[in-house]
Amino acid sequence: MLRKFSFFSITNYALLLLLAFCMVYPFVYILAYSLNDGLDSMKGGISFWPRQFTLENYIEVFKDPAIMNAYKITIARTVVGTLTHLIVTTLFAYALSKRTLPGRNFISFFIFIPTIFGGGFIPYFILMQRLHLYNSFWVYIIPALYNFFHIVVMRTFFQQIPPELEESAKIDGYGDVAIFLKIILPLSGSVISVIAIFMGVSHWNDWFTGTFFISDKNLVPVQTLLQEMLTRSEALLDAVKRASQFGGNTMSPAGTQAVRITPESLRMAVLAIATVPILVIYPFFQKHFVKGALLGSVKG
Amino acid sequence: MEVTAAMTREAQKNRQQRKLLRTIWKHRIFYLFVIPGVVWFIVFCYLPLYGLTLAFKDFSYAGGIFGGKYAGLTYFKQFFDYYLSTDIIRNTVVISFLKLIIGFPAPIILAIMLNEVKNHAFKRSLQTISYLPYFVSWVVVVTLLNRLLTTDGGPVNEMLHSLGLKPIMFMGNVDWFYPLIIGSFVWKTIGWNSIIYLAAIAGIDPELYEAAKIDGASRLRQMWHVTLPGIRDITIILFILGIGSLMSAGYEQMLLFKNPATEAIGSVLDTYSIEAGIKQGRLSYATAVGFFQSAIAFILILVVNRIGKKVSDVSLF
Repeated sequence: MLRKFSFFSITNYALLLLLAFCMVYPFVYILAYSLNDGLDSMKGGISFWPRQFTLENYIEVFKDPAIMNAYKITIARTVVGTLTHLIVTTLFAYALSKRTLPGRNFISFFIFIPTIFGGGFIPYFILMQRLHLYNSFWVYIIPALYNFFHIVVMRTFFQQIPPELEESAKIDGYGDVAIFLKIILPLSGSVISVIAIFMGVSHWNDWFTGTFFISDKNLVPVQTLLQEMLTRSEALLDAVKRASQFGGNTMSPAGTQAVRITPESLRMAVLAIATVPILVIYPFFQKHFVKGALLGSVKG
Repeated sequence: MEVTAAMTREAQKNRQQRKLLRTIWKHRIFYLFVIPGVVWFIVFCYLPLYGLTLAFKDFSYAGGIFGGKYAGLTYFKQFFDYYLSTDIIRNTVVISFLKLIIGFPAPIILAIMLNEVKNHAFKRSLQTISYLPYFVSWVVVVTLLNRLLTTDGGPVNEMLHSLGLKPIMFMGNVDWFYPLIIGSFVWKTIGWNSIIYLAAIAGIDPELYEAAKIDGASRLRQMWHVTLPGIRDITIILFILGIGSLMSAGYEQMLLFKNPATEAIGSVLDTYSIEAGIKQGRLSYATAVGFFQSAIAFILILVVNRIGKKVSDVSLF
């Protein structure tokens, strides 16, 4: 048992712990900063927990109509986008998993080509304009409907289901659709949840579409808003100004303290809310990741 | 004799055709599942591919993707005549090359290190933690880095201060630009990319390790002679894929990281194409830049795939 504590093991454990710290610490710091009094944070010295605890930054975020609207857009696109993606992907992949389907190799090849050679941003941009998707909520949903890798992962999964199951269901008088709904789908919970989390996360995290294909402020998602906050400070100043007016109008002693929120503390609160849902959800799907990653790597 | 043979052949062909039609008809419901997807791929993947022809045409809004006058290689020439084009190409290659030589082996090393952890619960939690950054957006990463690295009360500079060192302006600093780009890339992807190697390692026959132990191999030797050969094939496949993106420096990250101070070393083909197209409205020119990028990436994939096939019988297609 002494071997367990060899020099090799100790170095290995120490390095891995250091790595884990690097992965987690930034998020701990942001949480501490966003829960700390904004003006106080400016003095620096926050490292692991808030010094002057306050929820003021979060309250301000929830009061700001622009930020709240961005959250609504993000939630709406994540839910609608993920659901539609799952529906069309399972159907497509299930059809491709039928070894008897004439033309299935051609279809597989047809959807593989775009993964090695694409048109690039500009033709895509023109296409979005031509399809009137520019400045439409649907620009978040429709272009993200299909994904080659997700189709391959699902197809490979479906192919692993023993065909005897379907055959016996057929003998029982089930049709193709009934087999799919009543036999295949209930068996595919793990692969569906992996694709769901991939797609959900990619919808939640996408700032690019909102930045380049949306100019209507009412359609901007959270990540795009955060990106604007990063490059421009107007949005932040507005919110802070409103907060200061609010504080100034109430002539109470608390009011004379006026604003304790800084653009930076507000930004950290938005960042925290933009991140926390993902951090809560993804560990639950961990056990499926390996399977998903493995299936995805089996190509052709 | 010959006539009857031809007739039977004809009949056979007919029968086969009818059989095919019948199979197709039997699968009609599955075609219904596939058709919307095929249409989608035509519209969202093949139309932009066709849109690449814009690089050889004068784009006009009236003509759209299909119209426009033939312009030959004008726009390619324009790009190569542009005094910064060599810089942009060099930046792209340097950044993606650095990402490849540092970012590619990093998850392999992590997977091997994790594999040496025998405590199951500890290993699992380490893994979960290491995926974490993969699931946050680049916007979040860049905002995080800005806050952590600022000279304005950021924890990194406070630590430097307490060590008696001078504060460093990290962001927007030419000297720190590449280390930050590569570092944040590795930070974000190392855990996730290690999954596949861990799975491959798990698939290695334990008897091989036993045999190596009996031969007196140390743990490092076991790694070298058993683990590494065991993940060789998957490594080659992923390397081929990695080479394919050598002409792409990661546009999301680059768009977010770049600022006027680092423009000279941070301008890459992806960002330049977007900027020239959207900000300056030079759509044909920007398409030509994108075309150049895709074409080289494509050639790189073909070449590396061929090499992979020769060296080890492993290939993508």
